[in-house]
Amino acid sequence: MPERRTVRVAGKEVRLLVGGGGPPLLYLHSVGADAEWLEAHDRLASRFTVHLPAHPGFAESTGVDQVDGIFDLVLHYVDLLGVLGLGAVPVVGASFGGWIAAELAALYPERIARLVLADAVGLWIDEAPIGELFGSTPPEVAQMIFHDQEHPLAQMLRAMTSIADVPEDFAYAQLRALEAAAKVGWNPYLHDPKLEGRLRRVTAPTLVLWGREDGLVPLVYGERYRERIPGARLHVIERCGHLPAIERPAEFAEAVLGFLAQT
Amino acid sequence: MKFFMFHLMPWPYLPETYVGPAWVKCPNGFYDGRRGHGLYNRYLDELIRAEALGFDGVCVNEHHANAYGNMPSPNLIAAILARQTVRMRIAVVGNALPLYNPPVRVAEEYAMIDCISGGRLIAGMVVGGGPEYYSNGLNPAEARERFSEALDLILRCWTEPGPFVHMGKHYKLRYVNPWPTPVQQPHPPIWIPGAGSYETMDFVARRRWAYMGIPYFHKRVFKKNFDYFREACEKEGYTASPEQMGWLVPVYVAETDAQARAEFEPHLWYFAKRLLPGINISPPGYTSPRSALKMLGAFGEFLLNVGTWEQVVEGAYAIVGSPATVRERMAELIGWLGVGNVLSLLQLGTLPADLTRKNMELFASEVLPYLRDETGTSLESNAVASAPVA
Repeated sequence: MPERRTVRVAGKEVRLLVGGGGPPLLYLHSVGADAEWLEAHDRLASRFTVHLPAHPGFAESTGVDQVDGIFDLVLHYVDLLGVLGLGAVPVVGASFGGWIAAELAALYPERIARLVLADAVGLWIDEAPIGELFGSTPPEVAQMIFHDQEHPLAQMLRAMTSIADVPEDFAYAQLRALEAAAKVGWNPYLHDPKLEGRLRRVTAPTLVLWGREDGLVPLVYGERYRERIPGARLHVIERCGHLPAIERPAEFAEAVLGFLAQT
Repeated sequence: MKFFMFHLMPWPYLPETYVGPAWVKCPNGFYDGRRGHGLYNRYLDELIRAEALGFDGVCVNEHHANAYGNMPSPNLIAAILARQTVRMRIAVVGNALPLYNPPVRVAEEYAMIDCISGGRLIAGMVVGGGPEYYSNGLNPAEARERFSEALDLILRCWTEPGPFVHMGKHYKLRYVNPWPTPVQQPHPPIWIPGAGSYETMDFVARRRWAYMGIPYFHKRVFKKNFDYFREACEKEGYTASPEQMGWLVPVYVAETDAQARAEFEPHLWYFAKRLLPGINISPPGYTSPRSALKMLGAFGEFLLNVGTWEQVVEGAYAIVGSPATVRERMAELIGWLGVGNVLSLLQLGTLPADLTRKNMELFASEVLPYLRDETGTSLESNAVASAPVA
């Protein structure tokens, strides 16, 4: 269903998927499968023209060598919105994409009409450290990010007990994705120490969406986002892990669409 | 041909009940400083003894936070060796450049060792193993960029009069002016070890330095890598000399083949099954996906995954046997691999002091002279002219 485009942004090539109809919506994906078009995107596309760009270093998007930190990604997306001719848009960010979205909303509040943060990284709480993403094996990652261990993606990850079990193109894409995430999130680990103090600058009405059983980024992070963003609401999805868009697409889309429909 | 003795300085006392990796998270509560006192001094004795036994040099290396090798600062060891020996080369293989901030420190410490030793240092430079990036907080996705900039900076330290300015992407220094400067001119020889990443081999070929093949792989992996390296040199417009390649291999010599196996085998398995686990951890961005996949694919050919003695022998993961067997096998492999430096690990894992000593003596008296004859090199022809003491 989505149309595939290549957009040039400040010397980088962006693979952009666009689908649906209605006002534009920007979806910022995680380090996982939601860089590709999924059921959740289809559902959002019933009311919005969903724009799903792949971050530099993911899918066919280039330019990861120009990304040395989170701020480079923030500017990249400000530039992308400019290239696409989009005014203030609703932004839905999942996990790693949620971190980018939070930063965008804090640093460029006028570009963001509404904000949804789904199991977003970006903050740090000493008492509840974010789980180990980079050093974990695929089975360990499956354990951490899925509540439903029978989900096809969880099963696929669990089957990868040795490199021989991993299809080469998948392995290649995963290595690239982790490298792109590491450029930004290795140390400080998946967070920006300055972000928490800057969330007061967010003006966009904000929904914080969290899977209760998120084993990578515990619910307490969702609560912290809600505390720090003026006027934010927190909606918890039951029996759901780190990626509601993948694990519970219907509930995810319903919560997001419901929130975006409010005036 | 040059013959070195390589030491890892391992921790041989991991409790039997511990089944986790030896790297990164292996609890340092297992270490005991009193045992460490004995070990460091014993290992230093072994390295120093190599000089009297007729080796061209010794090698030490850098690893952090693990039971496999307890030299987070190899320069401390090299400094001791510089003072305690007079003739042989001291190869630090190598300083993990990104872990030194600023990298000028490497230029400084290496220059100190070179001065103290009278010009006997071989300056190894490494990116640092994958596990080091978990232990040290540096971004593995920046590792190679940092390494490259650090290396250039260190070379400037040795070849450009200071003070000079360095404003790089990762290091910004207003006054670069290290004292002391090395004895060797233009600078100590540079060795770069590698586990087969294309980037490293291309890089070393371009700079015309020496590439040391990281061990514990099946011999055909070494061969493939050295062949690639030779090809990379051809692409740079020259033919690689054997001295630009080094083969690191565990060696054990005893009176008979059977005795060698009986004495060495349990210690080899301690090494392979207790100390290697965790070594292959490769953090994101540490190497390109293309190289990472290539290296991951080689894990069937890695000692950690080898199960039988027959496989160890067939793959030349270690050269173990009587003097005649070791002579023959090493001569054949040296020729096949086309290397000019042999770095033998004569102590490995739990191999105790008495067997290490016997191994070193048998190797030095029964194998080394034969290999020198075979390859037409002598200790004298390899000698480093020591700096006159003014």
